Amino acid sequence: MIKRSTLLLLITVLLGAYYLVLGIYFNKLGYYNAEALFYIEKSKIVFEGLGNRLKVMGLTAPIIPFYSTFIFTGINYLLAPVIASAIGTAILFYLISSTLLKKVKDNFYLVLLVVLFLFHPGMLYTATAGKSIYLVLAFFYLFFLNILKFYRSNTTYHVSIASMCLVTLTFCDYRFIWLTLFFIPLVLSITLKSLNLGEKESIFRLFLSFNNPSLRRKLISKTFALYIIIFILPIASIVCYKLLNLTHANDLNYFIESPYATWNVLVDKINFDEITSSTTYKIPDSAVLLSLKMIMYSPLILLALYMYRQNTYQALTLLTPFAFVEFLRLKYDKIYIAHEFYLIFLVLALLCIIFRLESFKDKKTLKILMGVGMAIQIFTGFYFLNRSPIADEQKFMAMLRKPTENNDQEQNQDIANYINALPDNTLIMTDDAIAYPIVAFVNNIQKLVMPYQDKFLTTIETPRGYVSYILVASTSNRAKGYTQLNNTYFNFMRNNDPGMLVQKVYETPDWELYRIK
Amino acid sequence: MITSVAELLITDGFITRADRESIEKLSATLGQAFIKVALNFGYISRKNYERSLINAGITLNEVREEEHDSEILSKIELKLANDHVALPLRVQDGKLITLMADPTDQLFIDFVRFTYDMEPEIIVASDLEITWMSHRLLGEKYVKSAVFELMHRDPANSARVTFTSKQLIFLFGLVGIICVGLVLNFKNTSITINVILSFFFLIAISFKLFLALVGSRFELHQAVTNQEVRDVVTEELPVYTIHLPVYKEDKLIKKLIWNLQSIDYPREQLDIKLLIEEDDDKTLNAVRNLDFPATFEVIVVPFHMPKTKPKACNYGLHFSRGKFLTIYDAEDIPDTDQLKKVVALFTKLPDHFICVQCSLNYFNRNENFLTRMFTLEYSYWFDYMLPGLDTLDIPIPLGGTSNHFKMENLIELGAWDPFNVTEDADLGVRAYAKGYKIAVVNSTTYEEANNEPFNWIRQRSRWIKGYMQTYLVHMRDPIALYRKIGLKGFLGFSFFIGATPITFLVYPLLLIIFLNYILFDLSTIRTLFPDWVLFMSIFNLMVGNILMIYVNMMAVFKRRFYELILFAVANPVYWMLHSVAAYKGLYQLIVNPFYWEKTNHGLSKMSSPVNVVK
Repeated sequence: MIKRSTLLLLITVLLGAYYLVLGIYFNKLGYYNAEALFYIEKSKIVFEGLGNRLKVMGLTAPIIPFYSTFIFTGINYLLAPVIASAIGTAILFYLISSTLLKKVKDNFYLVLLVVLFLFHPGMLYTATAGKSIYLVLAFFYLFFLNILKFYRSNTTYHVSIASMCLVTLTFCDYRFIWLTLFFIPLVLSITLKSLNLGEKESIFRLFLSFNNPSLRRKLISKTFALYIIIFILPIASIVCYKLLNLTHANDLNYFIESPYATWNVLVDKINFDEITSSTTYKIPDSAVLLSLKMIMYSPLILLALYMYRQNTYQALTLLTPFAFVEFLRLKYDKIYIAHEFYLIFLVLALLCIIFRLESFKDKKTLKILMGVGMAIQIFTGFYFLNRSPIADEQKFMAMLRKPTENNDQEQNQDIANYINALPDNTLIMTDDAIAYPIVAFVNNIQKLVMPYQDKFLTTIETPRGYVSYILVASTSNRAKGYTQLNNTYFNFMRNNDPGMLVQKVYETPDWELYRIK
Repeated sequence: MITSVAELLITDGFITRADRESIEKLSATLGQAFIKVALNFGYISRKNYERSLINAGITLNEVREEEHDSEILSKIELKLANDHVALPLRVQDGKLITLMADPTDQLFIDFVRFTYDMEPEIIVASDLEITWMSHRLLGEKYVKSAVFELMHRDPANSARVTFTSKQLIFLFGLVGIICVGLVLNFKNTSITINVILSFFFLIAISFKLFLALVGSRFELHQAVTNQEVRDVVTEELPVYTIHLPVYKEDKLIKKLIWNLQSIDYPREQLDIKLLIEEDDDKTLNAVRNLDFPATFEVIVVPFHMPKTKPKACNYGLHFSRGKFLTIYDAEDIPDTDQLKKVVALFTKLPDHFICVQCSLNYFNRNENFLTRMFTLEYSYWFDYMLPGLDTLDIPIPLGGTSNHFKMENLIELGAWDPFNVTEDADLGVRAYAKGYKIAVVNSTTYEEANNEPFNWIRQRSRWIKGYMQTYLVHMRDPIALYRKIGLKGFLGFSFFIGATPITFLVYPLLLIIFLNYILFDLSTIRTLFPDWVLFMSIFNLMVGNILMIYVNMMAVFKRRFYELILFAVANPVYWMLHSVAAYKGLYQLIVNPFYWEKTNHGLSKMSSPVNVVK
């Protein structure tokens, strides 16, 4: 008889292998996404580039997914993000399952979890796309796990571990810093509960506390202390990181606003512009409806809410992410809510149910509810991912539905192949703000002169004498407005230096490669 | 002519017959004079005793200037004189001039007649004066033992020698290499030093955070539960020695008595020693003037350099009779059930656990900025760091007070090192090196936080100097230390004892570079250090600061001192004070290593009976 812990380890390894096979298979068929390509390109700069690599290494965001891709670059640059996400998702499974095994002896729930991780398209997307979702989900899970543990134990240990998880989560996706806003009522509720009052009803406890100076002082100082202990670390970390950005890039928000530092600045803009201007116009998410979509995506969250109906602050904890995504919708109104934010509800629902499994008396009904819920979730996973307005997600779904050759990166690979074929001492001026997918496929990036290098500024002023080729975004390139190396500026360069004779040597719909004679 | 002091006291109504019986019983058990027991176990105050004697027509004489004959003194043991509060001085007119606190102590009178073969001429004096005279005239042997015992028995562990030749060669060699490096290649050497220091800073602080997390994991764990304390059988409790080393603490004596009386432990099983230095008349007079009963025995520590607390405790050890021993400062307010808790814990623990450390915290935490910061620091130190070290089985640097020892093991270890100004931290490491363990118990002693900056710096400079001393002592042979305490212990010791002073010494340097860089945008710094060094240094400094601030926040959060949580943000300022103290400590380590920077107590205007265990 295999021990349950050994069994879990075995399943995790098998699941990891399954994800790896699937991810590598998709990768070989040509599936890439902007985020993975961005990490590949930055890893190449760090390991093989020449110039100010420190800035790339320290200020590339999100920094933790970037570093976790690092670990696997030794195996293969192009596969590193996929390997990281496959192993990371398997670890996420292990984390959730080990919590489950500690709580219940019935293997039925473990089977359900395995099925979810095997077939849920959201999970497959997390595991095989090479994106950072696996880290977001893992640290989101750990954050809420420790918060729930804190409710039970009331120990500083759990609350501080939760805070550290939130720091990590923030460095996996900066937007999670806004989660701090929505914990204020929750923290107040926790404090209210902890006050030594005869009254049981929360509203009356609040009334009593606010009308007694001593209790009011206690309530405020405890609420403030709890809030500080959870959120000071992420907030301070972000402040420090911004300070580093200021000292090394002269811009506090360099890591979230510069296309050289993060992948989603341009991708989100282009994606939104494209959707809102195309013939298949998609309405941006609207208030309340978004929350309903989350519930539809993960109906088990309703079961979790039901289970916590008697516990005010646990229920509030469950509601906090709803407020958070609603806020994101308002704050980032030109961005569609990515699938990662749907998946956090799935993980949260699982966590809360696992925590309350034992207290649910009617086990049979619970199993039926869980089984049906899981099946619905897998279906809604397909449905939502299929209808996603985000290009990367649509492409993944297309690949999942019908795994055939994907030509999305073909022209980038063509240009890269042309560059690869050039002699080693050739220098090509490239702006990786938009050309990072090409750089990711270039074998020797020392051929490229890019903005992270000090010589780039001189080169862009007078290319002649510094580089022999210039890679220019063509007029049909959707991102042409976000680079200096577009046709407009290229013509300006040519006018500025009439002696510079150029010849177009290679062309794709989005790119033109010029040789300086 | 009175026949018995006991009768006199009963007649005057100061004790009852039942008291007399109890005193006589205890006196027989301890081999001490009736009056000594009556005065030291809280049966009668010194004022009342004096009143009784005056009523009987006896006056107390000033005896300090009395002449003495060494020949006469050589025939009496200090312990006998101390137990009977009596001292023969010289022969005069065919009689032996003898100081006695109780002129009716027949046992001592018989001793005089038998030993000296003559009749005593009794001079009645205060018990404290006789104690003072006894220890001053007869205590040389004991005080020499208190000072030199460890040095003779275990010279490798004595801080008598601050720097060994090898250490000096190493230190000067290192300084030489740095200087040569700076001359040959100023830039690269500066970069190397900067990188090493900044990483050292980060690693040291990360280690502290790690310890705090390990410690906080077990914050709900109770080493001894209230039920276990209730289950302790009072009749079976062993004798418990409490050392109270004081120096010019006259203002605190009344408070001290109140705190001692609150301890939940049978009075007759307590052996409380108030250790007063020979030249400390202030405290002695404060005790003499008490008009209510005291529960301690005064031991006068004869003058001998170094004048340190460990020397006083070592001296007191010669007269202690407890199975367990602890030390409190004069202003300490231990939890009332602390001694019982420790006894219960020792009963549960294996034999190789020889010491139990209690948490320390402050009763005057809200007095001013300094006391708040001190509370933050102590909360994290005793609530997180020590349990963390305990869990990871790393040597625990004992806190200055409230460490409870098994007496026989303490003596076996050579007791405290009088040349070390943080003798407690040193003793913790020595215990680990000998294979003994230290446990942490869930009981707190509330102390008075230093509320005055100069006083604070004096105290802290002593502590930091002591850490330097301790580190130097145990690193005389690092390989031997590594073999004794293992890798974990060695790293723990290095990061905890060794790194603490270095961190404080390095901190202002890093901060100056940082501030120059950030605020003044100093171009020289940019020229000297490449971007990657600056990036790393700034990162390390900021992360280090944040982590330490956070650890402090965690600790006060655990203690529910919510009002203090924001003060953790002021830690960088507080560390600057540490740095001042560290440089002072370093200077003293070189020029005056054994000097004991006295901390003034009793400055606080706050008091709080927080020790009552509900």
